[in-house]
Amino acid sequence: MSDKVHESMLSVRNIFKAFTANIVLKGIDLDLQAGEVLALIGGNGAGKSTLMKILMGIYQPDAGEIYIAGNQVKLSKPSISLSQGIYLVPQEPMLFPNMTVEDNVIMGFKENPKQLRKRLLELMEQLDWRIDLSRKAESLSIAEQQLVELLRGLMRNSRILILDEPTSSLTFNEVKSLFRIVEDLKKKGISIIYITHRLSEVFMIATDVAIMRDGVITLNGPVEQFTEDMLVKGLLPENAKSKKLKQKAEAIDYSNAEPVLTVDKLCGHGFCDVSFSVFPGEILGLAGVVGAGRTELATTIIGRDEVLSGNVFINGRNITGQSTRKVMDNGISYVPEDRFLNGIFKISDVAANSSASNLNNMGHLFMNFNQERELTDHYVNAFRTKVTGRSQEMGSLSGGNQQKVVIGRALAIKPKLLILDEPTRGIDAAARGDVYDIIQGLKAKGLAILLISSDMEEIIELSDRAMSMYCGRINKKFSKNEITQDSLMTAAFGVAEEASNA
Amino acid sequence: MLKKHSLPRATTSFVFLILLFIGVGLINSSFLTLQNIMLNLNSSVIYTVVAIGIAFVIITGEIDVSVGATLGISAAICGTMVRDGNPVQGIIIALLVGLFIGLFNGFGVTVLRIPSIIMTLGANGIIRGMIYVYTNGKWIENIPLEFKALAQAKFLGIFTWFYFATLVAMVLIYLYMTRTRTGRYFKAVGDNPNGANLLGIPVVGTKIVAFVLCGLFASIGGIMYVSRVGFITPIAGNGYEMKVIAACVLGGISLTGGVGSVIGATIGAAIMASISRALVFLGFPSDYDNTITGILLIVVVVFDSVLQITSAEKVRRQRLSAKIVHAEISTPEAVENEK
Amino acid sequence: MKNNTTLLKKKVMRWESFLVLILIAEVFIFGLINPKFLLPRVFLGSINNFMTICIVSLFVTFVLITGGIDIQAGSIVGLTSIFIGVLWNDAGMNLYVACFLGLLLGAFCGALSGFFIAFTGVQSMVVTLGGSFLYSGLALMVTNFSSTESYKGISGFPKEFTHFVKGRIFNIIPNQLVIFLVLILITYLLLHRTTYGRKVFLCGVNQNAAEYCGIKSKLIIMSTYILSGVGASLAGILLTAYLGTAKTDLGKEITLPVITAVVLGGTSNLGGTGGVIGTALAAVVIGIMRFGLSMADVNTQYLDIPVGILLIIAVAIRFAGTNPAISKFFNKFKHPLKR
Repeated sequence: MSDKVHESMLSVRNIFKAFTANIVLKGIDLDLQAGEVLALIGGNGAGKSTLMKILMGIYQPDAGEIYIAGNQVKLSKPSISLSQGIYLVPQEPMLFPNMTVEDNVIMGFKENPKQLRKRLLELMEQLDWRIDLSRKAESLSIAEQQLVELLRGLMRNSRILILDEPTSSLTFNEVKSLFRIVEDLKKKGISIIYITHRLSEVFMIATDVAIMRDGVITLNGPVEQFTEDMLVKGLLPENAKSKKLKQKAEAIDYSNAEPVLTVDKLCGHGFCDVSFSVFPGEILGLAGVVGAGRTELATTIIGRDEVLSGNVFINGRNITGQSTRKVMDNGISYVPEDRFLNGIFKISDVAANSSASNLNNMGHLFMNFNQERELTDHYVNAFRTKVTGRSQEMGSLSGGNQQKVVIGRALAIKPKLLILDEPTRGIDAAARGDVYDIIQGLKAKGLAILLISSDMEEIIELSDRAMSMYCGRINKKFSKNEITQDSLMTAAFGVAEEASNA
Repeated sequence: MLKKHSLPRATTSFVFLILLFIGVGLINSSFLTLQNIMLNLNSSVIYTVVAIGIAFVIITGEIDVSVGATLGISAAICGTMVRDGNPVQGIIIALLVGLFIGLFNGFGVTVLRIPSIIMTLGANGIIRGMIYVYTNGKWIENIPLEFKALAQAKFLGIFTWFYFATLVAMVLIYLYMTRTRTGRYFKAVGDNPNGANLLGIPVVGTKIVAFVLCGLFASIGGIMYVSRVGFITPIAGNGYEMKVIAACVLGGISLTGGVGSVIGATIGAAIMASISRALVFLGFPSDYDNTITGILLIVVVVFDSVLQITSAEKVRRQRLSAKIVHAEISTPEAVENEK
Repeated sequence: MKNNTTLLKKKVMRWESFLVLILIAEVFIFGLINPKFLLPRVFLGSINNFMTICIVSLFVTFVLITGGIDIQAGSIVGLTSIFIGVLWNDAGMNLYVACFLGLLLGAFCGALSGFFIAFTGVQSMVVTLGGSFLYSGLALMVTNFSSTESYKGISGFPKEFTHFVKGRIFNIIPNQLVIFLVLILITYLLLHRTTYGRKVFLCGVNQNAAEYCGIKSKLIIMSTYILSGVGASLAGILLTAYLGTAKTDLGKEITLPVITAVVLGGTSNLGGTGGVIGTALAAVVIGIMRFGLSMADVNTQYLDIPVGILLIIAVAIRFAGTNPAISKFFNKFKHPLKR
């Protein structure tokens, strides 16, 4: 073991970290060689970000050692980590929005600005990256912001770069250029820890892979030794049953069905010319990569964004451009993609979260607390949500249970159509199964469901019909038997023929 | 379009100040004489000094509503000692008091994590009470003429020495905050404290320094107050905190932090001081002062914010629509070629 | 982390009982110092001295729960006072019609600031700062319509108007106390028992999520400023009646005590948590403290000192639960690493 420590660029040994009674890291061992790209995968709450924050000197480990290039180091604050050549590119770039690109990159350096600028220009020349140094950071796209973050790291002659889910908000082309950059850096001998949720990326970019679950590394080794299936198994809890056989649901007979929702040539910011219908008792899957315009489509339908042209009908009634409240009163409910930002009321209790969409029906002026209790209990019981009580604070629930509460809230207004946007993002495998059961149950009761997901398996498992969105347009529609991983993938990445008029 | 620097915002404030002079000058030409202009600027000196101090705090994203009280207690301490014939001692102790108040506020905001508005509101109450304890509620008068003469002493016959020194300090601070490594920390901390922390910038230290400087400048304002006004009441400096915050906002410093400069604060203070004098020249009672200030403040910030929101929305929309492929192109290769 | 938040919640739940304890302690201590303090007529009558703060802070609680701050309420108190005075005295209007118009004026002032805060995204601090200038300036302008000198104020109100506020039930319980209790009941029902109140909370916790739940968050946020404007007007009318004089500067010094009362009452200035019961208790704690100290022969001018200290300590304690530096310190004792 000590040999390995001496050879490695970075080694951590037996790292423990607890927050109050909650032990987040339980003895982490990890090695990273020069020029290695280590993909670190694991669910939310697995402890990845805690480990990274320890490496950045933001948190202190309770026990354990960290070695850099064979020397033991104590990373007690970020400036020490930086001087050791570690740089973290956070998931949400941490730029100074009101400063120029140049100021953003050279902030915190000791050398004089002129020299820095020269070095920066040389570095960009060397990497063949072009970005206007006088632009304000707030005007940059997320990808450009990440570029600036990378420049910051490289200007510091960092030996170890940590990329925390760098592709989560990038478009397809931006992902490609990011990968090119990572390849460049790899060749330069820079070590990279690449945190991701996307297994496909592991095989595209990583040399090594490590899986983290509940604060321990469960699997670690060169990427060639693994297949995607093995990684999936590594992510699942040990006691989880092997995946249930998919029940092939009967294809729905649409001949006499009246659509609940009809979207006709809808254009908005981020998508255009979108037409489709959703029928009662079916799940329509909407596949596509992040940034394809799916969330924009959903938020425009529910009245949070401007309609540029086209129409939306619910049961034949035109609801184009109505306010969110009216759209909801007309029977459309939406479960937002970003749960923390738009979904939950973190410091409110479970009951308040459950009734939030339905307050106008909770009594005319005074709250009917009995009704709120009934509503809360109903969905908590129906979805087997794990709560200590109605008054438990929402922020203290696990991601899966939070999502169940949010789905319950969306159902409380008795919608005719439910739009689920990435309903299982960032929740663990067990909760995912529960959410799938809930969705199937709703469908059985005759609810029309529009399921937006970047997880192709999710679309395959749940959908009765599917369509894919690519760069703001629906580029392909699928009937039940056409839905395969291959066909969805090719369409979602734009490798498809023109949309057929399903 | 998006603003590249904060300077243009200070420039619009400056243009506004000039228009104010010209506009009022058209109605009453005696307002536009050099003598009157200098009188205006010189009379803004206390606002300017305190505004420069509070600018540090606001730029780091915090607020300090105890500056008026700090000015008051420094003036009281300095005033009594000057009266009793110990001017040097008085100045030093007044500065130390300002420094200590800054440390106290900075400690509460950073270490105890009390929101700055609450912390400094509390400090404001404590200091105000202390002024009464110190002065027994009595006025401090009989400041020696030599000390009062300091405020009237002129440089080149136009600037008072006080205002000239303040301008020099402003330029030096501006250079410090834009050209030096530690000087840039203030903006960085206000712009994105978490990001600053990740870059190894001492966020806590920078904020404490900002509060200390703010306290110090408020004390300097207090010392100037003794000299300019010549007597100190127990309510000296009351309301200054609001005036200087308004001055900073008028000068383009954003209360969310990270935007603005001490030049803006100086211009804002000059506007604040000029408005009340302009009203007199226009034949309005000076009662209208607050009304005009309030309207101006709201109009400026609302205008700024609407501009910023619409431009951010425009950027978002452009970015979103850039993602939509045209109907005839549907392969990624084609999209790439187009780029 | 998880434990911290539930811990904090429990702490807030206990907060009101803690305030009751402080209150009892105050009564006990001040009773010992000066037995007169315990005479029902004196003790209950003390409410008359801090009624304005009590009423205004009840309504400002709504604003803080949405995550905003309101520093203009004091100006609206003075504006309403002089407004009804001028309408009655100089325009010869029926006094009660004038009072009603005064309430409308308060609502309008609140609506104006609230509109800018909710719909243009400017920080509440800046807009209400502008509002405090604007409304106090307007108050001075209103006095120009009066034949009476502004510093004297308008007096000579009819007896039934002043007696209603000054009067006591059974010659012991002040009418103002009854009014206060009624207002507590109304605001309590509104904030904690109606769907509107729930929406106020939800907007404070997460405005985005509230929008996605079909709640018109901007209108809700704006409405809280209208409420606080009306509350300030009401306080202005009552204070005018109690003093028998309409003056512009009646609410001048209430900003610190009002914010102190709201925050000390357990409402977070970051929004989302709090309540009017806590605010009411805290307002009384502060009021009794000032009253008791002044009965114990402490100079009234000193009373800002204990209020300021109380504010800082209370918030420091409440924030201690979320402060990693402090919780880490305690964790060392509580959770020694097991393995």
